[in-house]
Amino acid sequence: MIPSVGRHARWAALAVTALTLVAACGGSSTSNNGGTVTFKGTKNVGISTALSGQSALYGHAIQQSLKLAEDEINKAGGVNGYKINVEVQDDTTAVDPAVNNTKQMILQDNVVAMIGPVTSAQCAATSPISKANKVLFIAATCNSYQLTTQPSQINPYYISVVPNTYMEGCAAGTDTGKKGTTNIFIVSPDYLFGRSETNAFVSCLKKTNPSVKIANDPSTWFVKYPHTDWSPEVAQIQAAKPTLVYSNIFAADQISFINKATQTDPQWFTKYPLVTLASVDELQTLKDKYPIGMRLYMRAPFFQLSNPKLDAFVSSYKARYNGEFPSDWAVMDYDAIKMWATAANAAKSFDSDTVKKQIVGKSFDSLRGYKFTIRADDQQANVGETIGTTADSGGKYPFPILKDATNLSGNDLIMPLDLVNKLKGGQCKNDDFANCP
Amino acid sequence: MDPGKFLLFAVAGLSEAAFLFIVAAGLSLVFGALRVINMAHGSLYMVAAFVTAYVAAQAGFIGGFWTGLLAAVIVTGLVGIVIEVVVLRRVYQSEHLYQLLGTYALTLIIAGAVRILFGASFRTISPPDFLNGSVTMIGGSYSTYDFFMIGAALAIGVGLWLMLYRTPLGRNIRAAVSDPVLLNATGVNVSRLYTIVFMIGAILAGLGGVLVAPSQVVSLDMDNNVLVLAFAISVIGGLGSIVGSLVGALVVGMIESFGVSNRYTAHLSIAFIFIVMVIVLTIRPSGLFGRPEQ
Repeated sequence: MIPSVGRHARWAALAVTALTLVAACGGSSTSNNGGTVTFKGTKNVGISTALSGQSALYGHAIQQSLKLAEDEINKAGGVNGYKINVEVQDDTTAVDPAVNNTKQMILQDNVVAMIGPVTSAQCAATSPISKANKVLFIAATCNSYQLTTQPSQINPYYISVVPNTYMEGCAAGTDTGKKGTTNIFIVSPDYLFGRSETNAFVSCLKKTNPSVKIANDPSTWFVKYPHTDWSPEVAQIQAAKPTLVYSNIFAADQISFINKATQTDPQWFTKYPLVTLASVDELQTLKDKYPIGMRLYMRAPFFQLSNPKLDAFVSSYKARYNGEFPSDWAVMDYDAIKMWATAANAAKSFDSDTVKKQIVGKSFDSLRGYKFTIRADDQQANVGETIGTTADSGGKYPFPILKDATNLSGNDLIMPLDLVNKLKGGQCKNDDFANCP
Repeated sequence: MDPGKFLLFAVAGLSEAAFLFIVAAGLSLVFGALRVINMAHGSLYMVAAFVTAYVAAQAGFIGGFWTGLLAAVIVTGLVGIVIEVVVLRRVYQSEHLYQLLGTYALTLIIAGAVRILFGASFRTISPPDFLNGSVTMIGGSYSTYDFFMIGAALAIGVGLWLMLYRTPLGRNIRAAVSDPVLLNATGVNVSRLYTIVFMIGAILAGLGGVLVAPSQVVSLDMDNNVLVLAFAISVIGGLGSIVGSLVGALVVGMIESFGVSNRYTAHLSIAFIFIVMVIVLTIRPSGLFGRPEQ
């Protein structure tokens, strides 16, 4: 005969186990200002990003922003009654790890959507995986226009909420052309993004200022990516004596280049003014060592796009992350996941095709102070770009900001539809819009 | 090319050759004496760079770089001793594959440890104040720190040569290269000598990392970036030859620098390094200054 105490203990253990199982499988809840939100379960949204490597600066900001967005979404009840978990994996800014991470998240972790990686090379490699598995892929950082127009790359589940290389390159090229600069040296990373954006820059530059001269031969425009030692390029620029240097080097490469150039000559950027892609991350890293008088084009600098929503986001971000300011990547990735959440709620579904119908052709609020619309033809958002010259912030921020800045409208920058259709139709040699008939 | 332009590219090439020589010399020394191809050599370079950046940031501007240098040398030396005693002593008599696998495993372990200790973000440090300036010559500007790197590499090279050819330790190292069994029979503790040699090699890798830290970003992919070039230099110059490392580093540095200077070679400059390596391997497999395997 079983002792009654032992039998009771076994029943109690069984009850506790059953309750634990029900709690784990049946749902979850989270507390929200004293109330409790009950979820039907959890859905994963995946991102493979650069938590280390050349673009670790960006990945760090992106991860922080997405976690902030995740909390906000869940506090508001999640998506379709489900708690959202943003799964972040490190791809070291390399292509192979990004591919492996994406496969794992889609095939094993059953993510309902992916936010795109940092570099265009990574997006080019991971977009086909999302296409094959019908998972929405929202690009908020990688931005080569070929990703949405090149016939071999077109992915019906690929949505871009970042100004693409055509938009960005032409913005910079047109701005530079209008200044009448005569002798420009080009230095750019040698991979999809660098080549795409540089070609757009040159095309629009020459359209605006046909008499412009490029100081260095095209075969010398592109440098190994990532790039560690800038001594040869610094020598090359000095040898060429240009009136302006154009670059789209970014993150660690840009920091490294600026350091090398200023070590070589403290007046470097006065002698060889630079127009370059930049973000708050580079400004925040170098702080007062970031040169003044540089012409920057930026995707979403918070200090230039101030509006109540963005200001509140900046405050939340700073409060949560030890006073750090959110960079352009933080802003755009936040917009990306919020857009997806809004669309998924409207679709009342996580099915990619159903959610996509609530995205393409629709408009969404953004932190950038305007609504953006996802154009149907290339699933590209009409998001803007900011161009300005670095200047002291007068103590307001621990890094330079922009003066004489212009927030260019995405409607003026977005690629004309005839070009989009020619590119998608394979009519343009090398899938370069400059070669379209 | 006018003299001013030539000097610009020559100094750029020399500054790159400077830290590459120091790193490659360590790799070459270890192979020459121990017959071990140390895949973790680049990791030691990276460790030193991170230690320098970290200590310099903590110590502040006053003596930050020099304190960092001292700390980096001590740390890489100690890590080198641990690696030799714990890992390499077990694979000396094994085929090269096990040595490669063992030291490759170390690269992964060290990369993970660096990430845990110092974080995933890259770091930057400035050169010491008195080296943080520029000079103008023949119409071009040059970083003072670049000249310091070149001078430091020469000094380290001379010191290494003096150690190898003018000290009892150097005599023993050269004897160990020729015939370790006979050296052991004379009463020299060859096992301890190997530890010392590996430690010196590790310190040389570390010195390379310390020197390069103010002129590049310090990041987690530094180890692979330098290792590929260090191996190319060692193959060109000859594994086991310090003079070979010097010549190899000069070849690589100048190819990288002058290679980008014109449109005919710009897009092939990195390939040229390996084309030269293949040519040397074909004509003289032991390298320009290496000795053929017996």
